[in-house]
Amino acid sequence: MNRKKNHNLENLLLLFFLVIALFVPLIFGSNQYNILLVTTVLIYGVMATSWNIIGGLAGQLDLASFAYLGLGAFTSSTLFIRFNFTPWIGMILGGLVAVAFALLIGFPLFRFRIREVWYALTTCALVEILKVVFNMWEEVGGPVERFLPYFSGSLYHMRFGSYVPYYYLILGMLVIALLVNSRIARSKLGFYLKALGEDETAAEVLGVNTRACKLRALVYYAFLIGVTGAIYANIYGYVHPSFFNGQESIKIAILGIVGGRGITYGPLLAALLLVGTQEFLRASLGGEVSGLYLVIYSVILILVVLFKPSGIATFFQYRNKKPAKQEVKKKSVV
Amino acid sequence: MLSEQILKTSKLTKRFGNLTAVNQVDLEIKKEEIIGLIGPNGAGKTTFFNLITGLEIPDEGQVIFKGTNITTMSPHAICKLGISRTFQVAKSFTEMSVEEAIRVGAYNRRGEEEVQNKVDWALEFFELEDIRDYKCSDLGLSSLRKVEVARAAATEPELLLLDEVGAGLTATELLKLMSELKRLNEETKITLCVVEHVMQMVMGLCERIFVLDAGELIAKGIPSEISNNQRVIEAYLGRRSYSESSSTG
Repeated sequence: MNRKKNHNLENLLLLFFLVIALFVPLIFGSNQYNILLVTTVLIYGVMATSWNIIGGLAGQLDLASFAYLGLGAFTSSTLFIRFNFTPWIGMILGGLVAVAFALLIGFPLFRFRIREVWYALTTCALVEILKVVFNMWEEVGGPVERFLPYFSGSLYHMRFGSYVPYYYLILGMLVIALLVNSRIARSKLGFYLKALGEDETAAEVLGVNTRACKLRALVYYAFLIGVTGAIYANIYGYVHPSFFNGQESIKIAILGIVGGRGITYGPLLAALLLVGTQEFLRASLGGEVSGLYLVIYSVILILVVLFKPSGIATFFQYRNKKPAKQEVKKKSVV
Repeated sequence: MLSEQILKTSKLTKRFGNLTAVNQVDLEIKKEEIIGLIGPNGAGKTTFFNLITGLEIPDEGQVIFKGTNITTMSPHAICKLGISRTFQVAKSFTEMSVEEAIRVGAYNRRGEEEVQNKVDWALEFFELEDIRDYKCSDLGLSSLRKVEVARAAATEPELLLLDEVGAGLTATELLKLMSELKRLNEETKITLCVVEHVMQMVMGLCERIFVLDAGELIAKGIPSEISNNQRVIEAYLGRRSYSESSSTG
């Protein structure tokens, strides 16, 4: 009963958000800069939502999100620049390259039972290593930005004269990421991921193939972010090794945790609130008091961690806690 | 049919550095039995369970389950074959509700359509229906242990290993648990192997008992034989001469 109520509330909130999101360009449409800001916020939303699969459900503190973003961006853009290859297929290939890389990394990591902080450190290093590799790999990357050819409006090249189509593209990605998330959360894989995220040994003896499940989670995550990376490169119009950004990867994990681990719409909520505030403040205060936006961003972060460590999204969840407490009391008396 | 063996270990040995935790243990468990495994602290009972469920790989010897050599198989594969277990220190899924935790176990043999039936069966069997929506972190010890048994039973094992499920329970809770385990054994034909310190539970529940001491199997038999076995008494209480001299000294 409770859970049904919860789902209805969740769906209603999401629907409300989507309807507003659809009309955003009508409000900001005249100002391209604002549209870019909103799109940036949504990109963080997509990434944090995808992170929720590996970080929230499976409980693996993955700090490599921008590695997959960069791989997707470089795959699609290199094909575009060199062979005039359409980014529409390029972005799928970008996702697949990210998946291949995720498997390459994930297989030995999970085989040798690297977890918790060690998993975090390894994935953190991954981003930096890729940054160096792409800096030295002159054929694809190199220290100079590679700009995508300019078209004032070409559907084939995914180059538009305005940011509005990109906005809808990212919104579409967000819907896909949310759907994948909620489908997984309600399926066998989702239950298995939640179980192994809490206790791998207990999950194993209940028949959960923890290695295979973690790999599957990593694949979903890498693919979604890889595809987003291809769009990302098209939005900003260039690729550069700085796309492999360790600091921002940590931010994605922070959004996922602050939003509420394992809750489908939690990371999105955190992205809207935190990145939204940050981008808005940077745009409006940046000229007067530079750096103030970081202070305010940090204060919000600290408040959430202090008062709602289980995540912002848990504000909208109710679970009957009272009888549970009574039961504990009864046990301690007996 | 009843005497058909389900699990057999031969010369099972596990060493941790200089310590031999399990030493050349041969034992057989028959189908639909309730087996007790007892021994003083550090006798190697939990290690023995770990070896059977694949959490640790033995240095020597073999584990045969229904004719299959499972010695080096991974725990989830062993669970698929039909062995599940509970843990001495309850490993609960704290963020999950009772129902969700049991669902994880039920997925072992059931697809999406049937899984809910299995969950409902386990909830009903262990009388957990009233607390199905509670978070596991909000439960008391006795409910927590019950959830853990229910979770393992929901995987539909043929052999269920229970590691000190009775520890820390009150006398009434213990009796209740014993009757539930007995009913589980009768109704579902699950073979049970119980590691226990609470003698009341072992003697009342088990048909046969194995005694481990310092990693070695020192006795086996029906409960009345075990409670009169000289070596078992020595293992638990020490030699008579020693206890006398220490009491006078």
